[in-house]
Amino acid sequence: MSNYTTVITDVLVVGAGLSGERAAIEAASQGLDVIILSLVPPRRSHSTAAQGGCQASLGNCAMGKGDSTDVHFSDTVKGSDWGCDQEVARIFVETVPKAIRQMAMWGVPWNRVVAGKKVLPDGREIEDTKDKEGLITARDFGGTAKWRTCYTSDGAGHTMQYAVDSIVIKMGITVHDRTEAISIIHDGETCLGVVARCLKTGELRIYLAKSTIIATGGYGRLYGASTNAIINEGAGMSIALDTGLVPLGNMEAVQFHPTGMVPVWILITEGARGDGGYLLDKNMHRFMPDYEPKKKELASRDVVSRRMIQHIRKGLGVDSPYGPHLWLDIRHLGAKHININLREIANICKNFNGIDPVDSLIPVRPTQHYSMGGVRTNKDGYAYGLKGLFSVGESSCWDLHGFNRLGGNSLAETIVSGWVVGKKVAEYTLGAELNYQYSLVQDFAKKQQERIAGLISGKQGKENVFAIRKEMEQTLMDYVGIFRNGPDLQTAVDRLRELHQRAGRIGLKTNGKWASPELTAALRLPGMVRLALCISYGALTRTESRGSHAREDYPKRDDANWLKRTLAYWKEGSDLPQLQYEPVKITELPPGDRGYGESSASSAEGKK
Amino acid sequence: MLAQKILTRNPKAELYYDLVELLTGVTLVGFLWTHMLFVATILLGKNTFNSLSQALDDYYLSYVGIPFIILVFMMHILTAGRRLPTRYQEQQIIWRHAKMLEGADTWVWVFQVITGAAIFALGSIHMWVVISGWPISAMTSAERMQAFWWFYLVLLILGEYHAGFGIYRQFVKWGWFPRKPLGYISKVITAIILTLGLAALWVFLKLGGA
Amino acid sequence: MSIQRKFSIFRYNPNTPDVKPFMQEYVIEEPQSMTIFTALNKIREEQDPSLMFDFVCRAAICGSCAMVINGKPRLACKTLTTDFSGTITLMPLPVFKLVGDLSVDTGAWFRHLSLKTKAWVHTDKEFDPNAAEERMDNETALLIYEAERCIECGCCIAGCVTANIREDFLGAAGINRVARFMVDPRDERSGNEYFEVIGSDEGAFGCMGLMACDDNCPMQLPLQLQLSFVRRKMLAFGLSK
Repeated sequence: MSNYTTVITDVLVVGAGLSGERAAIEAASQGLDVIILSLVPPRRSHSTAAQGGCQASLGNCAMGKGDSTDVHFSDTVKGSDWGCDQEVARIFVETVPKAIRQMAMWGVPWNRVVAGKKVLPDGREIEDTKDKEGLITARDFGGTAKWRTCYTSDGAGHTMQYAVDSIVIKMGITVHDRTEAISIIHDGETCLGVVARCLKTGELRIYLAKSTIIATGGYGRLYGASTNAIINEGAGMSIALDTGLVPLGNMEAVQFHPTGMVPVWILITEGARGDGGYLLDKNMHRFMPDYEPKKKELASRDVVSRRMIQHIRKGLGVDSPYGPHLWLDIRHLGAKHININLREIANICKNFNGIDPVDSLIPVRPTQHYSMGGVRTNKDGYAYGLKGLFSVGESSCWDLHGFNRLGGNSLAETIVSGWVVGKKVAEYTLGAELNYQYSLVQDFAKKQQERIAGLISGKQGKENVFAIRKEMEQTLMDYVGIFRNGPDLQTAVDRLRELHQRAGRIGLKTNGKWASPELTAALRLPGMVRLALCISYGALTRTESRGSHAREDYPKRDDANWLKRTLAYWKEGSDLPQLQYEPVKITELPPGDRGYGESSASSAEGKK
Repeated sequence: MLAQKILTRNPKAELYYDLVELLTGVTLVGFLWTHMLFVATILLGKNTFNSLSQALDDYYLSYVGIPFIILVFMMHILTAGRRLPTRYQEQQIIWRHAKMLEGADTWVWVFQVITGAAIFALGSIHMWVVISGWPISAMTSAERMQAFWWFYLVLLILGEYHAGFGIYRQFVKWGWFPRKPLGYISKVITAIILTLGLAALWVFLKLGGA
Repeated sequence: MSIQRKFSIFRYNPNTPDVKPFMQEYVIEEPQSMTIFTALNKIREEQDPSLMFDFVCRAAICGSCAMVINGKPRLACKTLTTDFSGTITLMPLPVFKLVGDLSVDTGAWFRHLSLKTKAWVHTDKEFDPNAAEERMDNETALLIYEAERCIECGCCIAGCVTANIREDFLGAAGINRVARFMVDPRDERSGNEYFEVIGSDEGAFGCMGLMACDDNCPMQLPLQLQLSFVRRKMLAFGLSK
């Protein structure tokens, strides 16, 4: 029972999505031994689902002319509602054009500039010039001053993941797929690796490494309706939180994407609006220009989502058995454009809703989409609280996105943070030693073994894992959504605390042997409830509105009191996170008006 | 890699096999269709048929053509037959698989194997009979047809079926065109040739009866 | 009005070979419209938490959930129960190693495929972070993407007779993967090198042309044309050296 397979490596990457694999490549190219653990084969990662594209200020296409890293920087900071780390944003915008070109070298078939005159859906005429022909082109996305989103038809994430994974395979980097990290091993100061469970056999294994990178993506599936893949349950964040030493940053910053398709909540990419799609209400009225005369459908995601809910609350939504929704109209883009550039949308509409967007409207409603928060790191990707622990991509709070991420900035972040942090990891690892006491390491594995035994024997109780999970999802949906207020958030916190207690009393219905899916769910759930509490409690405490965090009882951004980042710690045995705060670094662009949306505009007035 | 495999490796062997299968197949289809057209000259009368046979004989085309076709026939059996599974488990897998998938092309192939094996047997008999009764004339042919009309009916249908779908499958494997139109065209040609063949058979039976 | 829907599902755990494979029946209530994804999760949550199956994106993008549904390899996430009348029979994909019940290990198989076909851009050029990207015709980019759209779900492999009886056959996914690099001008491999990779019965010449791959591709890739394109290229490369 106490003999665990032990694997030792230099760098351990937990998560094989784009950022994890990109970081692994960087470390491996320094000659380090790298192992990647992943819940699923790398090419099944949620990164592949990103359809729209990747922001980089290449400025090649007609509507991108005059773009620069500075413009990208200011769009990103405004998009974040000044919640992001500006040092990180600067590193990011400077690196991303290079990262995009590197992707081109690795095989991503980016769409290219085709010279000639074109007429946009709104009647404007533009011309792509001959001198730019064949360079990487871009499409329009929300919250950006220029057309900056590089794309491959509607499969940007897919092609990028396949290109990056092809390099991983070429370099011979080891991937252990269907392996789930369930606990971080540490000695109070340094991270030593993880305890992992094999999802093929159920075996517990110990992975020891000089450095460990958390790259497990977001926690979308805490919400009942999310565009995320079902594996996005915040696994990496929750094992980091469980150390009691590593804080999660800004967990209350949850992005809702304006166009999740009703009722399956599959994402309809922002490219649909970027390419000229409209939002219509039940009277077939295009309502966004009424609220956002300048950016219309292409204000930032938090703003468009709120405007949609506002409009639905006025009774102008379309009634359906799944609640009121609005329409996305792309019919005027034409069959050719839809079936080539937006083919994935056409397929999704046909397969999951039986409609053809060439001649039908798409039912949409804002849906949970992205986690701005995550494992708090410094600008080099070092997690707070433990040496040798790093985080990249959506699972991290590197803090490029602050309180709202711009569309196209997440794919871009994966390859940039993977590259930048990967380099820092390599530097750290080359100078580090792996010192551990094996009995301490084994204790971590034993603790997990005991947890499993407890769940199987049912000695803590007989609570049903799926029932608790449903209640957690519903609580977040009902009380921690797009518009929030004190009483609702308090209700959420109270219910989740109770659910957290119950999650400690789960007992399995099956024998839990081998790779039992019930055991897998039961092992994850308590951590998921803790993440839900970090979100709700952080939201309850933050008495202002900023980016995606919109408090009806505090509708204005409050820079005097809240220009700061939430850090949530979880002490063992507690049933609430401990919240601390740190200032947000403002290096270049002082807080001001976003140029769209409502809360920041009013706060700017307030300051006059 | 294993020593025996390094020593015997010929990187192009499988290309050549596949190419021979293609070329022999196409040749046989060409032969069969021409053959049926020749046979169908009986529709134009006994004399036309006999003089065509005579002409082929006079210019030695039969003496070059027949051995050549026999050689091609054998090569086709060897190359196309290399795909046939010999182990019981493999045969079971294919049978189960074809039943499960209900994929039209998978069944076409299964029938291709069956018809191919049957043609191997019946075709050989036909060639033996024809060559031992040399030369070909309308009357001798008619006698054969009358005695063994069921044999020729089966061989005709099997042969044309195998040729029709064989050429379709080679186009699918090598060609530039989608399957649907290919299937349609090959079916039409097969129907035409089959009609000619049946008509010829009918005329021969009439001749024999006369 | 909801109806009762019966499922007949393959059960087997390779860790316990003493328990022979068997078909287990479940009955669940079916709302107006439901995918196999919804149905299987309902069964797991309400009736049998031990049932193993794989889903990730549930949007027909990731390729995780291929299984044999009433005899055809399909993506379970985008298959509606209302497409069938009567009992729905679910079997795991053949060819791939069985993890348990409906779950198969496609990851290892496809990684092996990538290694065997050397599926990455082969170039001697060094990346210069400060240089502009090399130009490419947009038509070429679209052509590459057309082949790159494969999501490695394994439906083409499972439907392929050859792959079912020959372990080393790379199938349509493998041949299409090579086609993707052959149309990519960034890949500097010679015809000879491609021939080495796929000019054999393990690759282009192993295909018997039964086209179950083309019939069953959930991404509707033009596999018949990709396969014949590669076969002709292999002929040209093979005869030219």
